[in-house]
Amino acid sequence: MFWLPGQTIPVQRSGGFELADIEFTAWFGKLKLDADGEIQDCNLFDNDPEKLAELVVQLQESSKEKPQSVPLQRTDLRDAALGCGFVELDEDYDILLRDVCIRAAKSQISQTDTDDSRIIQAVEALDDIDKNVNELSERLFEWYGRYFPELEMTGEELANFVSTYGSRSNVPDDHELSEKASQSMGAELMFADEELLRSFARNICSLYDTRRYIENYINTSMGSVAPNLCEIAGASIGARLMSMAGSLEKLAAFPSSTVQVIGANRALFKHLRSRAPSPKHGIIFNNPVIKNAPWWQRGKLARALAAKISLAARTDFYSGELDSTIKEALDKKLESIRQANPNPPERKPEAKPQGKGGKRRSRGRKKNKKSGGNK
Amino acid sequence: MPVRELSSGIYELDIDDRMILATKNMIPGTSVYGERLITDDGIEYRQWDPSRSKLGAMVLKNFDIPLETDSTVLYLGAASGTTVSHVSDILTDGLVYAVEFSPRTMRDLIQLCDQRPNIIPILADANKPQSYAHIVEKVDVVFQDVAQPNQAEIAVFNSKYFLEEHGHLMLSIKSRSIDTVASPKKIFKEEVRKLESGFDIEFEVLERKELEPFHEDHLGLVAQMFVDDEE
Repeated sequence: MFWLPGQTIPVQRSGGFELADIEFTAWFGKLKLDADGEIQDCNLFDNDPEKLAELVVQLQESSKEKPQSVPLQRTDLRDAALGCGFVELDEDYDILLRDVCIRAAKSQISQTDTDDSRIIQAVEALDDIDKNVNELSERLFEWYGRYFPELEMTGEELANFVSTYGSRSNVPDDHELSEKASQSMGAELMFADEELLRSFARNICSLYDTRRYIENYINTSMGSVAPNLCEIAGASIGARLMSMAGSLEKLAAFPSSTVQVIGANRALFKHLRSRAPSPKHGIIFNNPVIKNAPWWQRGKLARALAAKISLAARTDFYSGELDSTIKEALDKKLESIRQANPNPPERKPEAKPQGKGGKRRSRGRKKNKKSGGNK
Repeated sequence: MPVRELSSGIYELDIDDRMILATKNMIPGTSVYGERLITDDGIEYRQWDPSRSKLGAMVLKNFDIPLETDSTVLYLGAASGTTVSHVSDILTDGLVYAVEFSPRTMRDLIQLCDQRPNIIPILADANKPQSYAHIVEKVDVVFQDVAQPNQAEIAVFNSKYFLEEHGHLMLSIKSRSIDTVASPKKIFKEEVRKLESGFDIEFEVLERKELEPFHEDHLGLVAQMFVDDEE
């Protein structure tokens, strides 16, 4: 047996003496119903689609906080609207309701552009740029390498060099690479190819610029949108956590054990499905606290860090103000973990020589036995 | 070209011995999500890909589809409107209330609603039927494809508020969204049990089949609200 939240059941309480009237607000007006769902009174709204759409959104928002009690045995909304004379024909009901709902949905959609959603877009754009800029840089490395193989540059450095000089014959005499350039075994670069390569390299440079631009944007907006998260996890990891959770609100609702393994999906599901060890850390691994720690402390540190990250996310979402005690508590905790575990634990004597391979083999054998037995 | 009506508004076209599921295009000349348009005898059909639509798969699995041309449908989990567009094609004199929770996919759905007169978009959480109780009237069919762990509960919740007595409930249950590890068969059994007797309104399950090979680990289900008619 279960009850709907916020539901009241007036019929049973009224006991037949007093008829408990129910007020119910529909999209077209306020209805007063008696216990049998018969309409006693209706207060119709203006039939202006724009205003009705606003009301629909308001009603929906307010019902999230406090759901209005919906009489289950109420008369059908369409019948009620027709009965109260809000519309005359069935088709009018359809047309007006459709218009109102489309307007309402559109206005709700335009309200979804929130601070955290902007950061999430930015951090995802950052990942896209990283992926593509790597690919393009590699292409430039291969392509330009035909003409100047001795140049030991990659990435942005290379892109800058190519966009500045183009052919190696353009490297000035006082440049540190001028000797290498004049003695290179690379082929001559034709003018048309040179222009092409320079334009290609310029684009790569501008992608690197955009990347820095986005990074700055994330750093500054994280500081104002989620100051605690930014302090505990770091701007970039904080933004990534929000992106993987979907929003700051969702991240705040996650238990810290989830925060600890966000981004380690494959390892987590492997653990749940089979007997693989549980992952110790997801993307919070990139935080220097864990990355720079020796392996035997990482799990413990990750747990402590994740606990404070979820605390920080909650503080950010619900109060929005920087609370320096979180950071202090975290530092204390981290220090005590480090001191309690200064040395690597001794591995169990059996596990060590076999390692992972041994475990896997034993699992395989068991499976075979089972399936053999079934046959 | 031989055309066979499988259920009202749902057709099977025979194009060079290849059977194609389709609905009559309500807005001729426009393809909603890149599906093929086929004209026969002056009527334009839109191809319906069963591997992209649970409802389409249910049709091909020979379910008795309770949709009529004048039905009113509450569609939970409308997503970008791939299936909703076909439902809209079927309901030439009907109406579909399309509930979707994600603003991102709602953006696509709205584009569809702008074109078609019989879809009413609602951006809301299907878990909270009260939040759209002021919009939705009583419906003949509740179709649900939400892939949530509490699917059965959501279906019953909504039926309780919006489904006519003896109305139909169509469900697609995705076992992996309920439990990734447990066996699908067990999960399906449990969900069916919940529908039949887990809550304070009951359903009579009319048909249930897995949607293989179109969708893995999905169960299609058609049920009818069970009403104890007192004499």
